[in-house]
Amino acid sequence: MDFEPKIAPLKREEDKETETYELLIIGGGPAGLTAAIYAGRARVPTCVLLGTLPGGQPSSTAGVDNFPGFPDGIGGAELAERFQSQAERFGARILSEAATEVDFSERPFTIKSSRGRYQAEAVIVATGAAPRRLGIPGEDKFYGRGVSSCATCDGFFYRDKHVVVIGGGDSAVDEAIFLTKFAEKVTLIHRRDELRATKIYQEKAFANPKIEFVWSSVVEEILGDQTVTGVRLRNVKTEESTMLAADGVFIYIGMEPKSDLFAGQLELDRQNYIVSDRHQHTNVPGVFVAGDVQDPYYRQVVIAAGTGAIAAMEAERYLGKYP
Amino acid sequence: MPLLNDEVREQVKEQLADLPGSVRMVMFTQEFECQYCAETRQLVEEVASLSDQLDAEIYDFVADEETAQEYGIDKIPAVAVIGDEDYGIRFYGIPSGYEFTSLLEAIQIVAKGETELAEETQTYLSNLDQPVHMQVFVTPTCPYCPQAVVLAHHMALSSPMVRADMVEAQEFPHLSTKYQVMGVPRTVINESTHIEGAAAEPMVLERLQEALASEEA
Repeated sequence: MDFEPKIAPLKREEDKETETYELLIIGGGPAGLTAAIYAGRARVPTCVLLGTLPGGQPSSTAGVDNFPGFPDGIGGAELAERFQSQAERFGARILSEAATEVDFSERPFTIKSSRGRYQAEAVIVATGAAPRRLGIPGEDKFYGRGVSSCATCDGFFYRDKHVVVIGGGDSAVDEAIFLTKFAEKVTLIHRRDELRATKIYQEKAFANPKIEFVWSSVVEEILGDQTVTGVRLRNVKTEESTMLAADGVFIYIGMEPKSDLFAGQLELDRQNYIVSDRHQHTNVPGVFVAGDVQDPYYRQVVIAAGTGAIAAMEAERYLGKYP
Repeated sequence: MPLLNDEVREQVKEQLADLPGSVRMVMFTQEFECQYCAETRQLVEEVASLSDQLDAEIYDFVADEETAQEYGIDKIPAVAVIGDEDYGIRFYGIPSGYEFTSLLEAIQIVAKGETELAEETQTYLSNLDQPVHMQVFVTPTCPYCPQAVVLAHHMALSSPMVRADMVEAQEFPHLSTKYQVMGVPRTVINESTHIEGAAAEPMVLERLQEALASEEA
């Protein structure tokens, strides 16, 4: 078990007056923290509001195998911590708060969090994405008690049990493999007849004797009275409906951008991703965007970090021009 | 071998520099140390060595039964974080992994003796006339969990009627079973009410009010 002590800052402000920074970064995942590293090195007074998942999505994954420079892979949480200490090293102020309200209608921009009020001449939005839900009966009822999207958090509770993983992308397949550390059997249910995941994940999953596959099927209901007892499946080719007994359900069917806060202030596309140009500018001058909240396609740590770097460089340029 | 490497020690020192008051970490283990008891004791001792304002007191759950009762300790490993007074802040199971953050936060708020919860929350909690027991179930690998633990600890600090425990689910499987913990964080309020996930302060307050209302009914 991973008992390595981790430090995430949970510092809070005593002074509830408005704090002013040149740059405020909303979101503390790979995009936001990389932006903070770049901004810090450019000596731009910068504050990061970490949000509800400090470290971003890597924090809730077991490991990251495709971030360059770590030939043996690196724990998701450790990678997130490293981003953060690097950002701190260059002077960014990092607060464990989530933005609750923004006003981008005039400069300086105003951002409110659960604990304070901030003003900044430039803002980088890097709020990321959250696991998408299925919207099927039983899902809400059992969320947090039999239905989960965090295998590192909850895998332990399924020791020697049978869990179902829904999805066919990288996250689904990688987490299915991770869950075999605990579960006796993992059944991966995918709506298509082949996986979308990167080949290396597929190879590992197919070679794992604990993983079974149910193809071309969707889960229509999560069953159970007090606890999850199974799922009802529909085969999309034959329309046949079947029951599958299971003790837990892990859902990895993709992500949704966390852009609700910005509706009406920033331009969003039809799937609610924040619209960005090639230089990470939004439609509001001085507000930049990076990471998964503007990326419906790739959603990789390295790309989030890359767009974070661009956003910071653009923010620095903007602040130089319009201080 | 130390549990905290040099880098972490430096970070902890920095975070715990200028603690405005002294804090005791009262730790309970036993002669034949339980799973993670030894590590918890070591962790507490290492952390205590990083600030002049911090002390570790180690007790034996069996031999020092009276002290255990005084602090309301019913399972081990246990750590009570005590400042000018006992605010009811407890850790059951090792506060490591992501929960190490919760331990450092508890030390800091206890040293200060005040929280920064919303005024509405503080007013409600300080006027409570019924006891509230919050048990926050966690795993050390859960990045969402410290938020729930820290919030519960802040609530404990705000009222003499509120006790708040971090409970590491893997070390207390019987409690995980009793409270049907299948996912973390899960906050159990007074046995009856529970909250799944790291809920925001207003929602936790609302559920706490519901829990008390249902008891009165």
